Formats: sequence, structure tokens, C-alpha cells
Amino acid sequence: MVTERLKEIAERAVQFAMKQKVDQAQASAFLVDDALTRFANSQIHQNVAQKSGGAILKVILNKRISTIRVGTLEEEEIKKAVVEAVKIAKASSPSKEFKSLPEPEKWTPIKGAFDEETAYCEPKYRAEKVREAIETAHSKSPDVKAVAGYFSTGSMAYAVANSLGVSAWADMSITYMKTTVISKSGTSEGFGAAEKYSRRIKDIEPSLLAEDAAEKSVKSINPVKLNPGEYEVVLSPLAVATLLMFVGYVGFSANAYQDGQSFVKYNLNQQVFDSKLTVKDDARDFKTLYTVPVDGEGVPKKALELISNGFVSEKSICYNSFTAGKENKKSTGHAALPIGDYYGERSGPFNMIVKAGDATLDEAIAETKHGIFITTVHYVNPVEPTKVILTGLTRDGTFLIENGNISKPIVNMRFTDSMLSAFKDIPLISKQVEMVRRTTVPMMKLKKLRFVGISAY
Amino acid sequence: MSSDFGKIALEEAEKKGASYADIRISEILNENLTVKNGEPETVSLSQEKGFGVRVIVNGAWGFAGSIDLNKEEIKKTVERAVSIAKASGLLKKKEAVLARDRPRKDKYATSFKKDPFKIALEQKLDTLVQAGRILKEQSQLIKASYTHYHGFRENKLFISNEGAEINQQITWCGGGLSAIAVKGGEMQTRSYPSPFRGDFSTSGYEFFESLALLDHAKEVGQELLKLFEAEKCPSSEMDLILYGDQLALQIHESCGHPTELDRALGTEADYAGTSFLTPEKLGKFRYGSEKVNIVADATVPKGLGTFGYDDEGTQAKKVYLIKEGTFVGYQSSRETVAELKLKESSGGMRADSPLALPIIRMTNINLLPGDWRAEEIVEDTRDGILITTNRSWSIDDRRINFQFGTEIGWRIKNGSRENMIKNPTYMGVTPQFWGSCDAISNDNWKMWGTPNCGKGVPGQVMYVGHGCGTARFRKVHAGLIK
Repeated sequence: MVTERLKEIAERAVQFAMKQKVDQAQASAFLVDDALTRFANSQIHQNVAQKSGGAILKVILNKRISTIRVGTLEEEEIKKAVVEAVKIAKASSPSKEFKSLPEPEKWTPIKGAFDEETAYCEPKYRAEKVREAIETAHSKSPDVKAVAGYFSTGSMAYAVANSLGVSAWADMSITYMKTTVISKSGTSEGFGAAEKYSRRIKDIEPSLLAEDAAEKSVKSINPVKLNPGEYEVVLSPLAVATLLMFVGYVGFSANAYQDGQSFVKYNLNQQVFDSKLTVKDDARDFKTLYTVPVDGEGVPKKALELISNGFVSEKSICYNSFTAGKENKKSTGHAALPIGDYYGERSGPFNMIVKAGDATLDEAIAETKHGIFITTVHYVNPVEPTKVILTGLTRDGTFLIENGNISKPIVNMRFTDSMLSAFKDIPLISKQVEMVRRTTVPMMKLKKLRFVGISAY
Repeated sequence: MSSDFGKIALEEAEKKGASYADIRISEILNENLTVKNGEPETVSLSQEKGFGVRVIVNGAWGFAGSIDLNKEEIKKTVERAVSIAKASGLLKKKEAVLARDRPRKDKYATSFKKDPFKIALEQKLDTLVQAGRILKEQSQLIKASYTHYHGFRENKLFISNEGAEINQQITWCGGGLSAIAVKGGEMQTRSYPSPFRGDFSTSGYEFFESLALLDHAKEVGQELLKLFEAEKCPSSEMDLILYGDQLALQIHESCGHPTELDRALGTEADYAGTSFLTPEKLGKFRYGSEKVNIVADATVPKGLGTFGYDDEGTQAKKVYLIKEGTFVGYQSSRETVAELKLKESSGGMRADSPLALPIIRMTNINLLPGDWRAEEIVEDTRDGILITTNRSWSIDDRRINFQFGTEIGWRIKNGSRENMIKNPTYMGVTPQFWGSCDAISNDNWKMWGTPNCGKGVPGQVMYVGHGCGTARFRKVHAGLIK
């Protein structure tokens, strides 16, 4: 088994590091084997597979910490890297705030997160499913001009060990598909997109995604311009997911909290959001995509209530062992996973799950007199983190709601608003939730979102 | 780097029916140092090596990469790439065709005086620790100071079955400092010389030394504190003077990305988006004012996007994207220029890892100098703002509507720089915005390095450069935060 091999590599690396007379050592070994078929203009144009892996070695010597990441699982190469890590630690300066690597805690593996069919999917299968998506989209309307997207299948596994006795591992399969449909009538173009994420390839139904994307695309031809201003909005799960990920990134990371960048710091035990909003971070819940039992330091993932009926508190904060040590706390199991280095050593929520409501999308539309239905948001970035002011644009189908009905497509609009204000009044939350990247989210209706500009299409 | 493994791959690919095949074998070193509040937070070295094989079989593409560089794995990986290409062929609408490019045999290395990987770690950390402490000591309001160093080296070998064999070494380094201060729930940040970890250049350690972090730490801290007393950015239409890295990012987002030919041809439609600069506009479309000349130039010394050859063996070159305001060129690859029947690739294909497929990436996208001195632009402005150091950015998927925010700005009234302003933001529409550009400086032009440009699925992060000075834009909508 891959995880057995990784566990052995990590444990051996720690043993070797301790022989170099360091105070503490941690090693993680990982393997990612994935493939992705990408299509555009209704044909496959990029079709790739990669087997990547490596080890991350951390040694501590008199509070001097060094980390080496090597892109290999060869034992001799890893040993060389350990020696290099020790050299670097000796040359470094002490980090006074470092307390200790985590002590071992009881953990249990997660069964059922790895699906062989998904992990070892053949390119021919992906190509056939892509064909299904393309043909379905084109069959929906003669206005469908081009179909784009991607379909990924694969697996990841990692193991972590440290000199205090931690030895833990995780593995899972992962698959996702996105379909973007571009339509055209006269000189006007329409856009629509749909995405699906799962650990099991059987859950990916290309024709459903293609139908959804094609419908939005065709309906968004000939959009009209709406003046900027404040509007009621109905957000699809895709849009909710993106906004919520930013709230999580800037708000619930201990790094942001300790630097004074997190809104939680200034709103402890206060109701910041609508009382209907409850969000937990729980990696063991099968509703979340990245179902893993331990974090990148081998600490069991703890379920945290990030937002509880609109309230945030100290319990909302996600710690790794370093940030926890600074406050004499224990890690909550939110160290970054060793499979990617996008967030570096920043701790944070990776499995946000929003509590479902009792509404449906149709009800949300029906109860809106004059508002906007946003299917996707694009290029969202924080403008001011302590107030969670985000800016971004609508994309792939934006529609005007008038008197309880979707009346017409509108030109994409730019929003710039505080999410503390936007999520303060949420009249409706759907009972259906969807897995979208690192979140599991429902549709939401917001009482107001501030738009500052419009695009050209 | 030995070509033996590469030749095995090419022979194997041809045996299995590939009409075209190339292989990149590469090793990448990254040294990342972050010091927080004067204490090391990240002292990290990463070493990545592996190879990636690209094949065309029956007119369709396949790619596979692996970290295990041995004969058996190379054969397996070639087989995987070929089987992927055959699957691609199931949906083929047109043949993959590459524009001609003379196969080269060459060696190239970016130049440096002091090898960043031979400078002692203690020396680098000493600078970062001292600068971080000076910055943090400026006030108790400063919650965190960060100082950064990043050194990069890639040694790579590119071989194709057309006969190319190119060895390259790319070395770059740089760094910077930043601090976050909080007062009464208001957060401000200030960075030097640019945000998001600093400025970078294909140079040696001498570039990091030239940043003189120790000399700037105190000034940055003091300027940060002044932001709490600064006026809010006024909300109105006014003249906007962009300086330094903010002008670089404006070029990156509103000219760099929309002139990528893969976007214009729709192949990034599912993720980053397409481009308003569609092929029928080439050579005709009025992108900006006559003052605006923008080039993609992979040959400019010390640019972060400088190299000898791209990742499909095309020699580095300089091409005009915008000439006297007219859209005249794309950043391209051999396949995309063949599709448009253009003469040759601009040499823009790069991958961020040996395991990743090369895609069209910016090289150095430079706004050529104008005929003003930077100070003359200020003196000539009656009512406006001068802003610098990016804090936030966002642009739509065709690169038309954008919004940027910066760390700091100053009111300009009757030709003089007056009060400091905080949280400046502005918004615009690309062709109108560049159409309103009426002054570009020539005395403070420099290369800025952006090491974190994201693109593609699976996502890749590339290092690119932007040369510019200071420029003025008339009647821009500023002050968007309530």
C-alpha cells in the first residue's frame, strides 16, 4: 500500500534526523498521482498526467527550525536532505516563539475515502465523458458555440512522523469536472458553467453538468446593463463557496488572528453574521471533499464551529502547533497538508461546511422582487481583511430577478463590499448543499450586496 | 545534465507512433527565508526534479511527467503520454500543427555576479533579522513585521525529435519587507520595494544587496504609522498617476494577460477566461493612446521573465504587443501561431515544473519609456492622486473591467504632492483607461519582478517581469471603498 511505504519513509527520515543529534524532527512523505483532460472549442486540447511526490523534513536544534522539501522519495536523497536541514538549522537563528512539535494523539484512519476506480481512471474514460459533455451541450441549442472545461481524476496520500512519536497517514481519491459553455446569437455571446467535486468518479455526471451550463449560457445571451448600486442577490453554491473561502482564509487562520488581520479578533463573542449562518470545519465529515484524519503535522483534525448562529469566538480559530504554541494552546489540527505548498505554513480551514437551511432556489427567486441571481463569481480578492471587504465580478451567467421571476440576463457586474455586511442579513438558505472545492455550501439569498461597476459583456 | 535519458524518451515515443516528441528534464531549487518580527519563521529549501514528455500522436497531444528519473520510469511515462494522446485523438476536430522553428543546440545561463546559492545562510538571515527588528521597533501598533528572501535556480535540458538540444540555467533572487499595523480595528500595511514578498530579478545576490532592506526598514515603518492619520481616498473622477509596481501590475493584468494568444483562442475559457483582444482586432484595434508602446521582451537583462529559450525551444525575443496605441501582437506558442497563420512564435511557452505542461506565459511585458520626467508629470497635474504599492487586484475574465487598490497615495494639487491618502482604489475599462494615458516617464524606468503569476489547469505559478516608470491616466474613477 502507498500509505505503508510513505509511513516507512517518514519514520526512517525522523530516525535518521535524530541520529544527527537534533532536538526534534518531523518528516512527511507524499505522493500525488493525477491526470487531467482539458477541453476547449469542443475538443481536447491539453491532456496530462503527473506522478509527483516527495518529502518535507523539519529539524529543530536549540529552537532553530529548518525545513527542506525534496521532490523525491529515494531514501538516500532524503538522508542527504536531512543532513542539509541540520546544516541550515545550525546556521539559522532561534525562533523564540517555538514551543514544540506536536505530541502524539489518538487518531483513527478514515475508511472509504479512497476509490480505486477514481484513482486509476484511464484517459480513454475521461475522453469519453468529455465527449458526452460536449455532445450534450451542443444538443441543447444551436446557439451553443463552444464547450470548454476539465475533468480530473487521481489520488493523493501522505504520512507524517515526528520524534515525539507521531505517526499518522491519510489517503484519498479525488475527481472534479467543470464544464463551461459559450453560446452566440448574432453578435451577443452567453456564458454558463457548472462544476462537480467528489471522491468517487461515479458521482460525476457530465451530461448533467453540460445541461446546466448550456442552459445558463443560452439564457445569458443579449444581456442588459444594470446600474451599479445595492441589490438583493441570490447566490448559487458556486458563488457562496468562493466568498466563504475568502472569509475563511482571512478570518479563521491563527496567523491572521495573531497578526491582527482577522475580523474575529475585533468581534469576539459577537453576532457578526445572520443568526441562520452556522459554519463548521470538519475534515471527518463525508460531506466535505478533503476527508482526511490528520493534518500536515499528524495532528488529528478537530471539528471547529467557525460561525455559530452568526457568532464568532476564540473557538473559531484554526491552529497548527506553532501558532498554538504562541498562545499556550494545543493545535486544532489545521496545519497545511503536505501535498501542496500554496498556503505555505499558514493554518486555516480546509473543510468548511455550512449548515443547510430549509429553502429552495425556486423559493429564493420567487421571494425576490428586484434582485440579481449570481451563478459564479470571478477573480475575487480581499481589499481590506479586517472588514473582509472583497471585490470581484459576476461571471458565467448573471440574471435580473423581477417580481419573483428571472426576467433577463444582465451584463457582468463588479461588487466591492464587506462580507460582514453582506452575510449579516440572509433571508434564505437552501436545504440542499453542494461540495465545492474546500467547502460544502448551500444556495443563499442575501438582503444586499454592493455593486460598484459593470463590465462590457 | 545528461541527454542520454532524453534520447531514450524520444526514441521510445517515435517507436510508439509519435510524430513529434520533446522532453524536459529539470531540477529546481528554491530557497525561501521569512523572518517575522525579527525571528526566523520559515527557513526552507526545496529541491524538485523530474521530467515531462510531450508527444503528438495521430495529430493529438499527450503529456506525462514523473519524478523518478530512471530508464524504466521514462519508458512508462512515454507510454502514458502516448496513451493520453490517443485518448485526445478520440475528440479531435483538427490536427495539432506546430509552426516551424529552427531546432537549436545551445547552452544559456542568466548572468550573476554573486551566486545566491553560495552565499552563507547566516549572511542572508542576518540582514532579514536586523531589518525585521528595526521595522517592528518603530511602534507597538506594528503587530507584525516580515522580511523575505527568495533564491531560485532551475537547470533544465530540452530535447526534441526535431533535433533541438538546449541546456539552460535560470537564476533569480530578491526579497523585501512589509509590516502590518492595527489601530482601533483599522489595519494598514506598508511594503518595500513592492508587496507580496518584494522584488526579484534574474541576477545574483548583488540584486538582493542592492535592495538595502536595512536602510529602508525605519522609513517604511514610519510611513506605515502615518497612514492612520492620512485622509481617505476621495471618491470621484480624477487624474491618476501610477508609480512603480502598481503600474507594473496594471500592465500585467490589463495588457499581459489579454495579449496571450491561448486566451484569445478560447483555450483558457474554463478558468482564467478569454480576452477582449480577439484575433480580428490584430493590427487594427485602438488599445491605448499614441503614447503607449508595450513589448514582450524575454531578452532584457535582469528581467524576471528573461531566458534564452522557452520550453518548446524557441529562442527568446522581443515582440511588440502595442505600438503607438495599436494592438499589433500576441504572446504565442508554435501551435497557436500556426492556427492563426502568423509568422513565428513569440517564445512564450513555459512550465513551472518539469511535471507540468508548458503553456503561454508572460516573459517581460514592458511599457516603453515616454518623453517625460516623472517629476514633470506631477508638476503638470492640477487635480489628481499618485499611488503606489499594490494591495488588492481584480479583473474580469476578458480583461476589460478592473479594480485595484494600493497601500498608499498622495493628493496632487496644482502640480505638487500634498496630503498622504490611505486605502486608494480605482476602477477602469482597459481600452478607455490606456486611451487616457497622456504621460509616461523616461527617467525612472526599471524592471519589476512578479514571481507569482497564476494560470492554467492544473494551476501553475510563473515568474514574470515588467519594465516601466511612471504614467498618468486622465479622469479615472477612484475611491471605491465606502
